[in-house]
Amino acid sequence: MSEEKLLEVRDLKLEFNTDRGIVTAVNGVDFDVYKGKTLGIVGESGSGKSVSALSVMRLIPNPPGRVADGVIKYRGTNLLDIPYDEMRSIRGNKIAMIFQEPMTSLNPVFTVGNQIEEAFALHQSHLSKKEIKNKAIEMLRLVGIPAPEKRVKEYPHQLSGGMRQRVMIAMALSCEPDILIADEPTTALDVTIQAQILELMNKLQQELGMGIIMITHDLGVVAETCDEVAVMYCGQIVENADVNTIFHNPSHPYTKGLLESIPSFDATSSAKKEKLPTIEGMVPSLFNLPHGCNFADRCPYVTDECRTKSDPLLKQLNPNHLVRCWNPVQPAN
Amino acid sequence: MSDIILEVKNLTKRFPIKGGLLGREVAAVKAVNDVSFKIKRGETLGLVGESGCGKTTLGRSILRLIEPTSGEILFNGEDIVKYNATKMRELRRKMQIIFQDPYASLNPRMTIGGIISEPLEIHNLFNSKEEKRKRLYELLDQVQLPKDAINKYPHEFSGGQRQRVCIARALAVEPEFIVCDEPVSALDVSVQAQVVNLLMDLQKDLNLTYLFIAHDLKVVEYISKRVAVMYLGNMIEVADASELYGHARHPYTNALFSAIPQPNPSKHMDRVILEGDIPSPMNPPTGCHFHPRCHYASDICKQDYPISTDQSDTHQFKCHNPIGN
Repeated sequence: MSEEKLLEVRDLKLEFNTDRGIVTAVNGVDFDVYKGKTLGIVGESGSGKSVSALSVMRLIPNPPGRVADGVIKYRGTNLLDIPYDEMRSIRGNKIAMIFQEPMTSLNPVFTVGNQIEEAFALHQSHLSKKEIKNKAIEMLRLVGIPAPEKRVKEYPHQLSGGMRQRVMIAMALSCEPDILIADEPTTALDVTIQAQILELMNKLQQELGMGIIMITHDLGVVAETCDEVAVMYCGQIVENADVNTIFHNPSHPYTKGLLESIPSFDATSSAKKEKLPTIEGMVPSLFNLPHGCNFADRCPYVTDECRTKSDPLLKQLNPNHLVRCWNPVQPAN
Repeated sequence: MSDIILEVKNLTKRFPIKGGLLGREVAAVKAVNDVSFKIKRGETLGLVGESGCGKTTLGRSILRLIEPTSGEILFNGEDIVKYNATKMRELRRKMQIIFQDPYASLNPRMTIGGIISEPLEIHNLFNSKEEKRKRLYELLDQVQLPKDAINKYPHEFSGGQRQRVCIARALAVEPEFIVCDEPVSALDVSVQAQVVNLLMDLQKDLNLTYLFIAHDLKVVEYISKRVAVMYLGNMIEVADASELYGHARHPYTNALFSAIPQPNPSKHMDRVILEGDIPSPMNPPTGCHFHPRCHYASDICKQDYPISTDQSDTHQFKCHNPIGN
């Protein structure tokens, strides 16, 4: 392992107080982020992928949520132990985040220039006002916004969705962070704009060498951008491997089911009219998880063991391939 | 020509923008511009395009949920634009719509039974309570929901199940034609496949015709026999689904398909990345609306809007410099 490890998350457990009692949204999640690499976190809504990322930024609203257990180490320091002020100097500076909705995550009453300048003013206070202004224009140019001198004075409503997402990226990258957390950065965008944004993120990663956590439910985006993938289901990582293994030799029945249920262009027209393979049933409620494996009720490979034994643990199939299953799917070849 | 269920001729919808002291019309958004197409009975026509290209407006204009500005809509050979409200209401038994957001399109204060039986009541489709109940169970069974759903409320169901309720509501009046306006976009991948399969099964069993609107090209390609691509209110290419992918003639179609991320890390496509955003439909570029973003644009593209060219009986496109010439 010559790669530089930036972030190490171990045994993360998140709980939320709700009207119906305490719910464990994330239950024992481990992952690492390396310099210049992209970790993809995939899962359906409610699987805990976004809250895991938010907890790295310590942005889980408390109450109702709290980190019940676990360690989040950034370059050796446990972010959960440091005082609030110190966290503020890391958040947005060393670890930055892009949110899903570019429409709602920008402040409508400030110009986009103001909002980018804020990051510089907070984290690089030695700069003069003029320098900050120039830097903001520089950032907009970096993310490929045409005529940045003009755009910097505009308000979010004057920009299109793709432009706003570029502004969000400019803001996140303004302090050259080590780690960029991208929470569904292209979900709200059209495919042609999505292609632009993904290419931009790729280019900037190569230039700046940051580690990226890419949270998404689009397996296509994962295949294009990620080096390593963690698949989440009901608050747990069910499979973790490099991107080629996940797509070509998935071992967890859930991963396999997800991959099969996307219609593919490769299918010839005769095979096309066949039914799409599906995952039966639906995600169980976090309030009422089944005994044993959480996926047992939907799994085509289920055995009695899956229901009677306790929850399976994440075990190593190969170096760098972890799977949480009693009966992992055998590799195809 | 009874096998053509729907024919749309030169359909246009303008939304006026009023301004100034007197509220005069200062500009207009041409949301749908001179669109013509046909759908055969039992077939699915997919309709794709980026947000703001007018695909939803087109779908709703066909049902006259939005009044078209001009053009003809021939349903089973009759021009329904001329229909009055009473006749239109009768006709709505034949044409239904499924909306995108199953969270917003169900009344939270009505039971599932109430929601599905409302169209039956409006069109007087039952004689006794018994008959109504029987029909409700039949519908729930068709969309694979349990019988006890009848007394439950929408909040008790997940997104996929709610979309099934919307489908049952549309099926209640035994329509011939359904506009599916992004029916699976709000759903998770694993549930999406279930709903797509259900829609395809129902089509086979009930001989339904769909206009399937979506921005997810993979789903559209899967479910549709033919696919139409829209850009800034114009239909720029129509072809068989299998032909459109890989043999598109219009540069925009080509770019749109190549922009889809492939769920296969070892296969990287030659991607055509489009520069810039969709222009404003209030003030579209001169000539071909696509020319500012097009890699193949020449001088003529800036002046004249291209007319429709027939590649074959089933494949039409509008471009001065098509790919593959």
